[in-house]
Amino acid sequence: MIELLKPFWQRWLARRIPPASRVELDHRRIFIMPTRTGGSFALVLFLMLLVAINYQNSLAYGLTFLLLSMAILGILHTYRNLSGLVLSAGVARPVFVGETVQLTLRLEGGGHDHQAISLGWDTEQLQQLNVPGEERVEVELTLPAQNRGWLHAPRLRVESVFPLSILRTWSWLDLEQTALIYPRPVAGAMPLLKGVQPHAEDQGLATQGPGVDDYQGLRTYQPGDNRRRLHWKAYSRGQGLLVKDFTDLSGHDLCLDFMALGGDIEERLSRLCYWVVVLSQRQQPFALRLPGFLSPVDSGALHRETCLRALALYGVRS
Amino acid sequence: MTSTSGLSLPIPRASLLWLLLAQGLVVMPFLQHIPGTIIGLWLACTLWRVQIFRMRARHPGAWFKGGLLVGTAGGVYLARGSLVGLEAGAALLVAAFVLKMLEMQTRRDALVLIFLGFFCVVVGYLFEDNLLWAAFTLLPVSTLLAALIGLQSSNSQGDSLKLALKLLLQAVPLMLLLFLFFPRLEPLWSLPQPSNKGLTGLSDSMAPGDMAELSKSAALVFRASFEGPIPARNQLYWRSLTLEQFDGRRWSQSLRAQTVQVPQWEKRGDALSYSIVMEPSGRPWLSSLDVGESNLADVRQMNDFRLQRRRPVEQSLLYNVTSWPDATREAQLNENIQRQDLQLPAKGNPQARQWANDLARRYRKPDALAEAMLDYFAREPYHYTLKPPTLGPDSIDDFLFESRGGFCAHYAGAMTFVLRAAGIPARVVAGYQGGELNPDGQYLTVRQFDAHAWVEYWQPGVGWRSVDPTAAVAPQRIEQGLEQALAADEAFLADSPMSALRYRNVPWLNSMRLSWDNLNYGWQRWVLGYQGQEQLRVLNRWFSGLETPAFIGGLGLLLGVFALWVFKPWQRESDSQLRLFNAFERLLARHGLRRLPGEGAEEFSRRAALLLPGHAEAIAAFTREFQAQRYAGHTSSPAELRRRLKQLRRRLPWRLSAIKDTHDSR
Repeated sequence: MIELLKPFWQRWLARRIPPASRVELDHRRIFIMPTRTGGSFALVLFLMLLVAINYQNSLAYGLTFLLLSMAILGILHTYRNLSGLVLSAGVARPVFVGETVQLTLRLEGGGHDHQAISLGWDTEQLQQLNVPGEERVEVELTLPAQNRGWLHAPRLRVESVFPLSILRTWSWLDLEQTALIYPRPVAGAMPLLKGVQPHAEDQGLATQGPGVDDYQGLRTYQPGDNRRRLHWKAYSRGQGLLVKDFTDLSGHDLCLDFMALGGDIEERLSRLCYWVVVLSQRQQPFALRLPGFLSPVDSGALHRETCLRALALYGVRS
Repeated sequence: MTSTSGLSLPIPRASLLWLLLAQGLVVMPFLQHIPGTIIGLWLACTLWRVQIFRMRARHPGAWFKGGLLVGTAGGVYLARGSLVGLEAGAALLVAAFVLKMLEMQTRRDALVLIFLGFFCVVVGYLFEDNLLWAAFTLLPVSTLLAALIGLQSSNSQGDSLKLALKLLLQAVPLMLLLFLFFPRLEPLWSLPQPSNKGLTGLSDSMAPGDMAELSKSAALVFRASFEGPIPARNQLYWRSLTLEQFDGRRWSQSLRAQTVQVPQWEKRGDALSYSIVMEPSGRPWLSSLDVGESNLADVRQMNDFRLQRRRPVEQSLLYNVTSWPDATREAQLNENIQRQDLQLPAKGNPQARQWANDLARRYRKPDALAEAMLDYFAREPYHYTLKPPTLGPDSIDDFLFESRGGFCAHYAGAMTFVLRAAGIPARVVAGYQGGELNPDGQYLTVRQFDAHAWVEYWQPGVGWRSVDPTAAVAPQRIEQGLEQALAADEAFLADSPMSALRYRNVPWLNSMRLSWDNLNYGWQRWVLGYQGQEQLRVLNRWFSGLETPAFIGGLGLLLGVFALWVFKPWQRESDSQLRLFNAFERLLARHGLRRLPGEGAEEFSRRAALLLPGHAEAIAAFTREFQAQRYAGHTSSPAELRRRLKQLRRRLPWRLSAIKDTHDSR
């Protein structure tokens, strides 16, 4: 039943609280309902009223009504604790699949103090903080990065039961928080472009990219390596599977190529991602070729980011 | 909402400290009413809890807690003799409240403790409902609230209390409204009442010494307010019950008095109307002047003209009485009653009987006989004293002819005996006489030492007539009160030296005492007595003069003011620019121009000017003003903006709804 109603609820919520990167909580965006504690409180009030009626005790009536009035006023106080709070989304750093995204959130008091505000993606895991009236508080929320591409944060739950615990005000906000998720880097042989020399005019650059020209030494076998280059002698000596490694002596720049790899798209992207990260770490210039994308040979943080972004968004309709 | 956020978290320090304090304050009114073991338990639990808080002790284990629970219940059973009944129930409630403190670990436990605390306060009202205790309970209530708020707040204790007090203060107006208008229902079912076993007061049988005991007590019996002037003091004979059975020593209420039999009487003369707030007596009878009728449904007039309630008065009770002092009571007397009121022990007191025979022979008419007896009391050396000598087995003879000293019970008993012996039906009336006038409040306060006994006798055709032999012996007792009637060697209220009543001769002390009494009476009448019929009466009096529309209008006005105060619409004025811009958008929308998402004011107005070239100037003027105010930091003046908008609106042809073909740039 609840599952059935969910789409309606989502649609209604989207209409009522449209996505925005900066939201001030006001009466349109704040909901309020009694909590379970509120239910117990109501039960206690009822018992107190029964005592008042059965013993015809005016003081018992008085205290019951005092607490009831307070609970009613509590609606205003609980509402006010949330209203006026301004939430805005900060920039999220891109991460790789499998890591957690840190989403920054800025909260401003907007004039009066807000106490015991809980924030989180679902009702189970919330973190609590106070927002003083004149200050700006930054809070970091995490989300697991599961898929490559843009990660759209779910609606953020903001709630508070302050001051009486018997009422809960809450809001579901879409702060349009997004984070770019790069593919998961998977180690493997460097997928190099064959036959094409993207920058043939660049000469004399020492390269260490794998090739066929010059014997470099032995390295351990990795799946995907050419079997013809296995060092069987070493294997027979019990040194494990080793591969004879050759360096490309052609002197041209490295070009990581999507087409040089076989297999699943995601696996290929993961491998490319690994080499983008590794080569950037070595500060070695490289180019990246994806179907529909070709980066110039370059190095540096910006280049790395461009390439990773291209990998992250490959095939993703924006 | 399935969220259980925070309920299983530990309790913040601020909240815990408030809880410890609140618990002490909640328990305090119960101190006199619960067994001492629970007080000890409370102290031990508090100490333990503090040690837990200081990390010097651990929470008790499950077995230990179970043992404590059973032990406490057993202790209550031993102390109270039962686990049901109000006292035992309250003791168990307080014990649970105290033990919960020890067991408390999470915020959920703290909530349970706080709610239990509120309930304990309410139950405490059943035991102590005077003004001082009621004011005192504001302390536990506010500390409990502070603890409740402290559960959520990480701020200091002071902040929680401040917010708690603020909440309480703001809740007062609504509470008063609810208190006034919430209909007072009849009790839904009967519950154990607080027992008033230890109370002093008139009982249904009287040996002369009992009255002397009562005269030592300054405890309040009732307070009475008259509509109209208060009758003279010597008219104030408050009847509580009649004692018709004599066994030679004690006068007691006859069994006949419990049978329901409506007495015959005729209203005559002027009526007196008054209301009485009586203290709990543990007895069913209510005091009234002769011949009284009450407004309460469960109070009836019994056949000896006393007012009796169905249940004993266990809580202070407010009732209204109308009395006809000059009424004729039972011109014809039922034979049963005659027989009862001529009843005498078979033998004893021969001298008194002899005297009665003499009197009966001399005076044919009962009135004349009674008159002669009063004369005799006044003439002979009888005196009024609270310390009469001990009397022998023929107590009436000893009193009448030997000691000749006693107080009201002696005189009333002796006179009734002689009247009966002379063949005149008579009985002793027990009640109160007089009362202290409070000049501020114009009401009478009657205390236990005003207890009195007098006589009424019956004659055919005339009915019952009251006569007070004490008045013949010690007129001061009737005219002024007990203190004045006592001889110099008998100190008034000798057993209670601190009683303010003893210092009535110190003017400032006396006026303070009277003002305090007046305040308490107001409290009892207007707060404690605000039940059932009293509520109807008060509301009727308030609203009968007003027209209903005026009342509704007033209520609407009140709500309006409240809404204004809450929503503060004047604070919205700051964003009137946006509102005016929205109006501008709506206006253009009616002409088929809609602002695209993300389209700025500048761009929008440029597009609008292209589509409505005739009004380009007015559109541009509004937009310029809007941008100047909103973005360029010009002083905001909604009036100017409004004027521009008005100009534009006037120039554009009037349209009710949007035209179909919109000029979107899509």
